[in-house]
Amino acid sequence: MVPEGNFVTFVKRIGNRLARPDILFWLLPLLMGLLIMGTVAQKTIGLYAAQERYFDSWIVLIGPIPFPGGLTLIGLFFINLLCKFIFRSEWTKEKAGTILSHFGVIILVLGGLLAVMTSREGFLVIPQGESRNYIEDYHARNLVIRKTENGQDTTLIAIPHDQLKDGTHISDAGLPFTLTVTTYCFNCSISRRPEDRQENWTSPGKFMMLSSGEADPQDEKNMTGVEFEIKGAGDLDGNYLTFDGFPKPPQLDIKDAIYTITMERVRRPLPFAVELESFQRDMHPGTEMARAFTSKIKISDPQTGTVFPATIEMNEPLRYRGLTLYQSSFDLSGDKAQTVLAVVENKGRVFPYIASFIIALGLIIHLINRMKRLSKPAKADRA
Amino acid sequence: MTVLSRHLILVISLILMSLGTISAYADDHEHKEKIHHFELFQSLPVLHDGRVKPLDTLARNELKQFSGKDHLEDRSAIGWMAETLFDPGSAVNEKIFKVENADVRHLMELEERKKPLYSYLELSSGLEKTFPIVEDLLKSPKKSMSPEQKALLETHENALEYTQLLRSFSLLLPLNISVPPKWNAEMRGKGDDAFKGPVTYLMLKKIDQPLVDSVKAIIAKKGDDPAKYNPEEQATAMLSWQIRTIEDAARNNNLLKVIPDPNPENKGEWVAPWDLIRSGKGSPSTTATLELWSKLAEFWQSGSDKEWTTTLKQLAHPDALRLKTEILYNSIKPFQVALLAFAVSFALALLALSLASFRKGWIIASVLAALVALAAQGAGLACRIFLLERPPVGTLYESILFVGAVAPFFALVLERKLKNGLGVLLCGSIGILIGLLGMTMADEGDTMKVLTAVLNTQFWLATHVLCITIGYGWCLVTSIVAHALLVGRATQRMSGDQVKTLETSLGTLALTALLFTATGTILGGIWADQSWGRFWGWDPKENGALLIVLWLVWIIHGKIAGQISMTVYTMGMAFVSAIVGAAWIGVNLLGVGLHSYGFTEGLFWGLGIFTVLEAVLIGALGWKIRHPSKQKETAHA
Repeated sequence: MVPEGNFVTFVKRIGNRLARPDILFWLLPLLMGLLIMGTVAQKTIGLYAAQERYFDSWIVLIGPIPFPGGLTLIGLFFINLLCKFIFRSEWTKEKAGTILSHFGVIILVLGGLLAVMTSREGFLVIPQGESRNYIEDYHARNLVIRKTENGQDTTLIAIPHDQLKDGTHISDAGLPFTLTVTTYCFNCSISRRPEDRQENWTSPGKFMMLSSGEADPQDEKNMTGVEFEIKGAGDLDGNYLTFDGFPKPPQLDIKDAIYTITMERVRRPLPFAVELESFQRDMHPGTEMARAFTSKIKISDPQTGTVFPATIEMNEPLRYRGLTLYQSSFDLSGDKAQTVLAVVENKGRVFPYIASFIIALGLIIHLINRMKRLSKPAKADRA
Repeated sequence: MTVLSRHLILVISLILMSLGTISAYADDHEHKEKIHHFELFQSLPVLHDGRVKPLDTLARNELKQFSGKDHLEDRSAIGWMAETLFDPGSAVNEKIFKVENADVRHLMELEERKKPLYSYLELSSGLEKTFPIVEDLLKSPKKSMSPEQKALLETHENALEYTQLLRSFSLLLPLNISVPPKWNAEMRGKGDDAFKGPVTYLMLKKIDQPLVDSVKAIIAKKGDDPAKYNPEEQATAMLSWQIRTIEDAARNNNLLKVIPDPNPENKGEWVAPWDLIRSGKGSPSTTATLELWSKLAEFWQSGSDKEWTTTLKQLAHPDALRLKTEILYNSIKPFQVALLAFAVSFALALLALSLASFRKGWIIASVLAALVALAAQGAGLACRIFLLERPPVGTLYESILFVGAVAPFFALVLERKLKNGLGVLLCGSIGILIGLLGMTMADEGDTMKVLTAVLNTQFWLATHVLCITIGYGWCLVTSIVAHALLVGRATQRMSGDQVKTLETSLGTLALTALLFTATGTILGGIWADQSWGRFWGWDPKENGALLIVLWLVWIIHGKIAGQISMTVYTMGMAFVSAIVGAAWIGVNLLGVGLHSYGFTEGLFWGLGIFTVLEAVLIGALGWKIRHPSKQKETAHA
């Protein structure tokens, strides 16, 4: 065992080493390099993929060369700054500004850490007059088999899309049939099925065919789908297809139960229901450019029993029970207007507010101190 | 595309048809000299791109889009607009289309001339010839087009837009159509058959239905071959065809929205004259407005200056202050005035620094010129705030205008401290550089744009956007002071005291730049949190702002910790200009927001060359400082 005094010295030595400015000096160019690479990459691979690859990663491979990822660099930066703050700060009045600024950055990075760990995003698509109490994920998609019996929905199977491939076989004790994936595509394109390849196909798959298209840089635009073969369902055996957002997914009516096979965004329950009363889009006069979007909604919270109206506009989100609902998109192409509200849960959201205040205050104090020092001509200048 | 080609072909035939028209009722170019009073005409309101603006602005922007300049050699944009609207037959001879691409000129069989400007009439056969190419082009995405293809498409688009203007009032302009006596009498009222004044579409509209019925009856009787008709029947069929042709040519004609929408449900909307006719949503007030425009056309053609002015007074908009302010803004061009004044200030400051005699006088004159420049820049910004009813920065171009005011201002503040002419020299040089950048960015039509929904927020435009742009301003001043310091040290022209003062200022400037860019960046994150529920999303704009902050932090901390020398520190601060260029302007090149190919491409190379030049210049100055030619090296840690 290391004696207590030695231990403290040991920690101080390590802390002092980790606090050294040369770490920051070598770290920042790497971080800037990563930032530039991750930004330029967005042009080709899209924001989401670039974020995952460069910033939410420990290591990035630039060709064959490994490069530290965002998590590694920001992690090291945080350790360096924290050690500097604890072990090497000059706790004097003159250095108050510097200390405050550093503290602000620590809070900012902590908030970022908390956001990475806790934040969850999803979206709600609500047609006018309807209500939703679940949110859908932007990225994760599942192949889902749902059973409807006596008006009750039960999810029997939910397989993440990235586990699917051509030939994936699905069978389950609760399923009266087996399913074999014949074609899987992450971003499907739809074309007409040639007449000589329509045998054993059920409508509408008889006339439409899925084939693999190039992935869209904007992940949420990718339309994931599968073509599959059903066996063991008697007369209903045959080939089917389903894809993300397909309005007519295959439904098999077997023994008084309906089995619906969908490719859908992963759903998560909301602790309350959101009803869309109306959606409005205001345009700049004489143009096709929107000036404002407004969703008038009604929140029904079964836990508290409260029902209240709310309005969500651009730059005016609704915050309720730790969730932020903001106007993200809309669809006016169908009979009913649909609003798309993004839902974000982030426990660290208060940190940047505090951090920005502290950092700005710190820099201002530092500047004032500097001015004061410079106005005394006798004293030496330090940047 | 079929709409485009059909539309254009129809319009070409119509223009040719109406060429003889006008000469029957007006003296072609004569009226150019007859009407002098455009003051009221230019302030007539028109709704365009989501904003009610004076006709003057629309005229300048359209002309600039076609010809690259907001005026013609011998006349103003508003004079050109009047001719285009009221005398399309003459207007098509005006050389307003700039076709810079030699391949396009060759393809359209245009003759080579010193200034590649062509009239619509000269273009028309080339337009027709290249329709099939453009038709194919429209099937492919714009991104994959070559510069020649883009230039060809742009020429067609400009021509199409021009025809919209030409046909805006084709419903009330005199036509070169002979109306058979029977229809003439019906059109003018039975008691007035002696009257043989000009015929307009609006007059013909009154007999449209009976005319259609007559033609139907003729076809039922004699089939659809006009050769079998008697002369009267032929004239009737011809008249009906001419009315249809005019209507077809005016299909989708909605560019010139000069009449407030009569429907109270569409408050704030305006309509074009043809919109009224097509939708049939006219009201007594719109009929009266249309009549006034009709009179205006008549008086313009006849050159009746007095009546023209009287009619304009009746058409004038009640809220004229805004419109007049905009006209003043258009005519004074405050940002060009500022650029000129910055140039004068710069020249005077150079004199002050190079001449030993009367130095103080030159400095004072230079400061005065800089103050004039700042006043002009500030007045321009104030005009835009008043006109757009929002904080001054909402687009990239506006951020350049704003930085063009704050950065020189900060440099001038520095002069107060330095008192040696260097501050005002830097003020002038930043003013010129940003002013020139602004001029290259102003090529995209109306620079006073309405904003998309997410940007349409007064609070964030006034906080985050201003804070970050002020940060850019400080960064540029920091960079230019660092440049001056490097030049001073490399040429060994600065005294030790001067170097010391500038180094001290550099430190303060860098910290101030950091304060504003860091706060602005975080405020941007907070705006994102307010709008989208997330603080940081690594999008290009956010990353660009962060890059500046990281660069400043790197250089400042490198110096404090002794990792870098004062020379490297100064070099790093000088290079902030390139970092700001990449973060401020460069990130926009990644997005899809900037649609104009030439603009983006030119900017991309411009930015690239600037960065390389900066690197070379700063590197060379740094090398010179380390390898002084004489043994006068001053010690710098």
